Amino acid sequence: MELLLQTITNATYAASYMALIAVGLVLIFGVMGVINFAHGELYMAGAYSVVYLYTDLKMPFFLAVAAGLIFVGLLGLVMERALFRPLRDNPLGGLIASIGFLLILQTVAVLGFGVRMEHVPPSTQEKIFLTEGVVLTVQRLYVIVATVVLLGGLWLFLRKSKFGWALRACAQDPEAAALQGISLNHTARLAMFIGAALAGVAGALTAPLVSPTPHMGHAVIVTAFIIIIVGGIGSLEGAVIAAVLYAFVHTFVTTFYDGVIANIVGLSLMLAVLVVRPTGLFGAKDRA
Amino acid sequence: MTTSDDSKFAFPKMDRREFLSTTAAMTVVAGVSMPQLAFGADKVVKIGFLAPLTGDVAAWGKPGYDGCLIWADWVNAAGGVKVGGDAYKVEFVAYDNEYDPAKARAGATKLIKEDGVKFVMMLGGDTWPGVEKIAAKEGMLFSTLLPSDLTPETKTLLAPCEVHPIYNVTGVEWMAEQFPDLKKAVICAQDDALGKPSVATYLAAFEAAGIDVVDDPLFFDPATTDFAPVMTKLLASKPDILCLDTCYADYVHPLCEQAFQQGFKGKIISCTMDFYQKVIEKTSQEFMEGVIFQFPDFDDPALNDAKVNFQKPNEFYAEYAKRYGESEWGAVSWEYASIMDLWADGASKAGSVEPGDVLEAMKAGGKGKHAFGTADWWGTELFGIDNALVGDWPVVVIEGGKAKIKGFKSIPAWWAKHSDLMVKHFKALGQMYNQR
Repeated sequence: MELLLQTITNATYAASYMALIAVGLVLIFGVMGVINFAHGELYMAGAYSVVYLYTDLKMPFFLAVAAGLIFVGLLGLVMERALFRPLRDNPLGGLIASIGFLLILQTVAVLGFGVRMEHVPPSTQEKIFLTEGVVLTVQRLYVIVATVVLLGGLWLFLRKSKFGWALRACAQDPEAAALQGISLNHTARLAMFIGAALAGVAGALTAPLVSPTPHMGHAVIVTAFIIIIVGGIGSLEGAVIAAVLYAFVHTFVTTFYDGVIANIVGLSLMLAVLVVRPTGLFGAKDRA
Repeated sequence: MTTSDDSKFAFPKMDRREFLSTTAAMTVVAGVSMPQLAFGADKVVKIGFLAPLTGDVAAWGKPGYDGCLIWADWVNAAGGVKVGGDAYKVEFVAYDNEYDPAKARAGATKLIKEDGVKFVMMLGGDTWPGVEKIAAKEGMLFSTLLPSDLTPETKTLLAPCEVHPIYNVTGVEWMAEQFPDLKKAVICAQDDALGKPSVATYLAAFEAAGIDVVDDPLFFDPATTDFAPVMTKLLASKPDILCLDTCYADYVHPLCEQAFQQGFKGKIISCTMDFYQKVIEKTSQEFMEGVIFQFPDFDDPALNDAKVNFQKPNEFYAEYAKRYGESEWGAVSWEYASIMDLWADGASKAGSVEPGDVLEAMKAGGKGKHAFGTADWWGTELFGIDNALVGDWPVVVIEGGKAKIKGFKSIPAWWAKHSDLMVKHFKALGQMYNQR
């Protein structure tokens, strides 16, 4: 029982940060139609923001996380303006440009911080004993709480605000949205800022838990793609549910069987969903 | 033709006769007062450094290259390597293989055919298969830190420093002597060419010491980023000993953190504990107290023992810390440099820097001056060839936040008693030279 509860706790944490990353990726694709291969590097940039501000400059942890969120959001704006807007009619061009940007970000990280992993001391070493032998560290709890708050806020923003409606309208039919007076440039900027900021905050919050490296985005982007394919490309709800599903399957197989097999099972899950339901669990019609 | 403008750069206060006489005098003075430098600069021998300098495994390449640069500076400042009446300045040519076999092959080709190196040092492991054919074809002398790369087919590959993973038996043997009550162990490793032979070695060492491994070894994917599930599984059987095998530093650190966070109270044993000060920062000094591993800091006074062949270990460590920072010291910081000691000794004995001559001289008499004492060329039973230099190896323990050598233990002595166990576990995991 103890093992089961600890595994559920571990899976909840994994689902949280994966959901943050995957939702950002889906939002960018849903609104702009671009597959952002540099999304893992935005996650890395968030982590290095904390390395610099919290570890090196000794700024308070949450201030560093907030700065990381804004910094990576701004990086998203740069990407939108410099890469994706000029290539708006060329989705393949956007993808290739994002790969180029990925390499630039990795190189900047190497030049600025070196190739070695960075060590970010935890902001707290407090633990919560959920029951006897079942531990959740407060550092991990931060990630879970931040995910619930941020994704809940995003859901309300998309459903209840004028800007959110504009984003959804652009995702469903950009031309019709433009005819209604919605600025495509403005919505693309907004989507890119939010999507990038979500990846950045995931990296910033998990930096003390993962030892950042310039290449840390690689493993994350592979997992994020599996999640958005399983959830249905373009579906925010699908991304969240698929993140939970993937994290639980992966964590349980790792704990009760083998870490290598867990990766195979994760990929098999994606293949099974593609065979049974090619549009993913929540399809692609209900973008953003 | 010299214009009036040009003339102002042409020694305006010195006529041609004075200039020539002064230059000639300076040349003579330089030649007389610095004969070794002038002589050593005449000949250069290039040594290839083909290891991961970036990526996940960089911790076992880059610090070694940094150590080699110190070695080269010291040797060159002393006049170079004396070979058959000549003095050779040593120049390292590095190639970052990123721990990728294809890049290792490209690097080996470049180093041999374009750079003209006479010896290539590698980390080995997953990158060795990429190089094996070109090494055999060119007859180039290579070294690896991982004797599990050795096969009878490649006679020019040596493991002259590390007998990874065989020396891990010394840590287990010492632990069993000091803590006889610890009887239940678990073990994990990344699923690759470094992890598997090391698991086989630890399984043999635990069995020889009467320690039960209470669960199957846990192999995790090298792409793992969240180690909480891995640690949850490991701790589920309430072990006394948590063995981290030969996990890369990028895995050892989060594994230790997870063990700390999930409340592990037993003994940690690991092949390496690179940058352990950082682990202490992320856990606690109390938690890391007593962790056993195999790689000393070279400021350890125990290394001043007369049997240790590594030149000025404490000074080497001080120079390394000065150049790169104390916290940058890692398992391999001294290893490639110690291989260079052996190579230089071999080249001097051979009177040649040609790979075949140096190889023959290095292996002459079946013994060599290993960093930790005189050792034997060994390995036929396990690797099919006696190209691993094996002798004593230190057991290191963290005490008061600092790594300290607790003693040197003999690998050949362990092997004489338990070789059958090692062969059994190597076979079970498909790690014998004729199974790989």
